[in-house]
Amino acid sequence: MSESLQQILDVSVFWEYRTVLLRGLAVNFYVFACAAALALSLGLGAALLRISRQRLLRWTGTLHVEIFRNAPDYIMVVWVHFVLPLLIGTLLHTRFELNPFVSAIIALGFVYSGYFAETFRAGIEAVPGGQIEAGRSCGMSERLILWRIVLPQVVRRMLPESINQFISLFKATTIVSLIAVPDLMYQVSMIIQQEMRPLPLYTGAALVYFAVILVASYALRAASERWRNKIFA
Amino acid sequence: MGNWQRLVWNQRDALFSGLVITVEICVVAFACAIVVGLLLCLVRMYVRPLRFAAIGLIEFFRATPILVQLLWVTYVWPALFGWPDAFFTAAWVALALQSSGYLAETFRGGIEAIPRGQREAAYSVGMPPLLVFRRIVLPQVSLSAAPSLVNQFTVIVKSSTLVSVITVQDLMFQSQKIVNIWYEPIEILTATAAIYIAIVFLVSAANLSSVPDRKSYEKCAGQPAAAKDRQLTRTTEPSILTFA
Repeated sequence: MSESLQQILDVSVFWEYRTVLLRGLAVNFYVFACAAALALSLGLGAALLRISRQRLLRWTGTLHVEIFRNAPDYIMVVWVHFVLPLLIGTLLHTRFELNPFVSAIIALGFVYSGYFAETFRAGIEAVPGGQIEAGRSCGMSERLILWRIVLPQVVRRMLPESINQFISLFKATTIVSLIAVPDLMYQVSMIIQQEMRPLPLYTGAALVYFAVILVASYALRAASERWRNKIFA
Repeated sequence: MGNWQRLVWNQRDALFSGLVITVEICVVAFACAIVVGLLLCLVRMYVRPLRFAAIGLIEFFRATPILVQLLWVTYVWPALFGWPDAFFTAAWVALALQSSGYLAETFRGGIEAIPRGQREAAYSVGMPPLLVFRRIVLPQVSLSAAPSLVNQFTVIVKSSTLVSVITVQDLMFQSQKIVNIWYEPIEILTATAAIYIAIVFLVSAANLSSVPDRKSYEKCAGQPAAAKDRQLTRTTEPSILTFA
């Protein structure tokens, strides 16, 4: 027990591989940023579909949300990486392959777009109807009302909720290591195979993620509170 | 259609045995998460000296990705504590840890939402603290926490796909095994994804019926649920926004 504790506290192995590990963490952030951008735009689209006047569009939006909100991240990543290229290849009659980066971003972006769509929809529906009627009576077009009146309020209203979703998205980026995207977790597994020392490396990886996510969530929450107070007050 | 029969229907025994393992892991993890979460929450709120230890544990469980926790429990705990000794145990322990952090915060929110006067009234009629917790606090907390509990169960089901990484033979593991035998992933992976989506959908459908309605609130607190009413009409109102 004390021997294993000593092993865990041994940070030298972390220091030795610091460049590789930091590069892995950067990959985590890169996948996170791309997937978040994709999820936000798809989520806004799905939310607009869900409140559409036409039944077919509304159903499409609902289907999108229900499929992706209920799908486990891991199976979506695996599906996009192994099945989607085959399907596209059959359609185009050529051999088609997806870079692991691309499949990771597509899968995570689609999965989280389901959550973001619901957040967007709740935010849009919370905007008082009188404001939209007022906009219409001034002769603003629907698109202008959306951009100038609705969305600015939606963004502020959905900030606290979306911060939680960004955090879970960042946590989900660790599973991209399973389709060989060289993120921090992948690098850690590779080093473990070489060094045969899982104790300090897995513990260290857990602590690194813990620190990053804890700091990020507190900082983001504080920043968003200040911003919201400044604007709503 | 031949492929579907060969790769999915004819493999139904393997898929079903995987599904059983998935359900077992999820149920055990969920039960443990409720117990551990309640303990962590109570320690955090009422045991002064251990408060910061509990907060640290809750934050650690909440802020580490499930894959990292799973590998950590599987490969570090046996050396550290001599337990868990099987991959199956490690799988549900990791899932339970992750959820217990979230549930502890849910329970705390529920307990803090109960008006102080109720507890004071109970003490003034001479109820001991444990009885107050059992008769006054717990029924209300379990009502208000029900939606988050169901939600957390869906999170457990989704995360349970990852236990295949440590070779626990759940549904995901079985379907990947079939992929590795036949090298034809389209049908089997699509079917597995559909099964998981259906399970999670059904579980979250239970959420709609478990949301405390007016009757249970009145039975529990004896207060009219005017605020709840307003919320209900709000969501059923047709939206006047039509952008698309």
